[in-house]
Amino acid sequence: MSAKPGAATPTYSPKVVGRSRLPIFKDSDLDWSRPDGRGFPQCRPALLQTGAVSSASGSAYAEFGNTKVIVSVFGPRESKKAMTYSDVGRLNCNVSYTTFASPTLGQGTDHKEFSSMLHKALEGVIMMETFPKTTVDVFALVLESGGSDLSVVISCASLALADAGIMMYDLITAVSVSCIGKNLMIDPVTEEEGCEDGSFMMTCMPSRYEVTQLTVTGEWTTPNINEAMQLCLDACSKLGEIMRDCLKQAASASDE
Amino acid sequence: MVGLSIGEQHFVKGGIAQDLRTDGRKRLTYRPIYVETGVIPQANGSARVKIGGTDVIASVKAEIGRPSSLQPDKGKVAVFIDCSPTAEPTFGGRGGEELSSELALALQRCLLGGKSGAGAGINLSSLLIKEGKVCWDLYIDGLVISSDGNLLDALGAAIKAALTNTAIPKVNVSAEVADDEQPEIDISDEEYLQFDTSSVPVIVTLTKVGMHYIVDATAEEESQMSSAVSISVNRVGHICGLTKRGGCGLDPSVILDMISVAKHVTETLMSKLDSEISAAEACEDES
Repeated sequence: MSAKPGAATPTYSPKVVGRSRLPIFKDSDLDWSRPDGRGFPQCRPALLQTGAVSSASGSAYAEFGNTKVIVSVFGPRESKKAMTYSDVGRLNCNVSYTTFASPTLGQGTDHKEFSSMLHKALEGVIMMETFPKTTVDVFALVLESGGSDLSVVISCASLALADAGIMMYDLITAVSVSCIGKNLMIDPVTEEEGCEDGSFMMTCMPSRYEVTQLTVTGEWTTPNINEAMQLCLDACSKLGEIMRDCLKQAASASDE
Repeated sequence: MVGLSIGEQHFVKGGIAQDLRTDGRKRLTYRPIYVETGVIPQANGSARVKIGGTDVIASVKAEIGRPSSLQPDKGKVAVFIDCSPTAEPTFGGRGGEELSSELALALQRCLLGGKSGAGAGINLSSLLIKEGKVCWDLYIDGLVISSDGNLLDALGAAIKAALTNTAIPKVNVSAEVADDEQPEIDISDEEYLQFDTSSVPVIVTLTKVGMHYIVDATAEEESQMSSAVSISVNRVGHICGLTKRGGCGLDPSVILDMISVAKHVTETLMSKLDSEISAAEACEDES
């Protein structure tokens, strides 16, 4: 039951084959050209599938260019170790990288914080009071890291939660924007992230037009932040549409 | 922290709505800030900051290390935060770990800027001794002794003060050696270099309670918040880092408004902090 809503978009262009290392330059008057030939406000085409893991309550697989992530959701199930009673449910998130996810063996220190950032992104959107005394576990595995990893993980996790039937206020989508010199580019790949001057990652609920998580690093002027926010909101609403289509296709396929 | 009764919750929220908080402050007023530097003689730099009931200590230790192969022309900085059980009994054992790592991540984000080093509060190239071989590793440790809300701002101020107080010994690279050998270095005992902290940003946390934002929330007020945004602004007025914490969603226009409020508050906070730090340094010099 594959769903390829992104296949019809004309924005897809094949990856430029080139093994040369991109130079790390600091000239702000040189215009950066993206390695895969995209325009600055263009996202990578998205491949989203639900039901990737049959033994989980819900699961999803996402492919954004070279970033491939699989998320499985277990729950609501009994809280371990007889934790104290709580009338809201608990959420447990874990993000891990496979050893072959990045070109260099082993991953940097980034992914330890991804678990807590995923937790923060999801805790505002899941209706915890619908599953008291129980825990929902979200496990994300990054199979290949091609840039914007956390954004893809968050979007994929929200799709998996919807597939598991966990009640949420809205789907959440996450998009990140990189700033190199004076250029803002959306959905950066690993090479762009490696030499960025600043990063802006936003998680929002597209239908409610609310931002649930925002992380900015590097130096930004207010007009840049405005522009980045607009770019992200646009992309998030489009990604939200794609996710809804994917869920509808999955639901109609299972009805047949 | 003792929970608040329904009446107390209404009191806190209602007061904020009327620009009169429980301790009499306005929404955008900080509690009195007290800075003391040089509190840890063993460290290269240290500072203690008290904002109302929140008490934190930051220390900076510099050790000789090797630059990473990905960035051979830069030194390294590591930030660790420890929430001591004296602040809250729940911090004992592994309880405070989540909060500590969240605070450390936010501080690291504000101090180190983007991956290419742009917008960094600390100039990592100034920590270099010999490219690819020897550099200074800065270990910045924060300790939370007493917690009454607004930990991130207090830690940011303490780190800024500790960095101003930091003196890194001068290093002479002795002999010219072949590429694959470690050069001999001579660490001077007398001459010291002061750190340049003019671009270290301050962090302002805006807490949204109901329809309004407050600055410098106490623990009571933090328990009533719907969400909090921590914005780090440097001297020039550029945003050096932003972290939104707290579950509730915020309208994007609200976030942009918070950014402009934060910039406005930063001006007063930066000048107040600068004067407190220089007063503390002067006190330390005399004693």
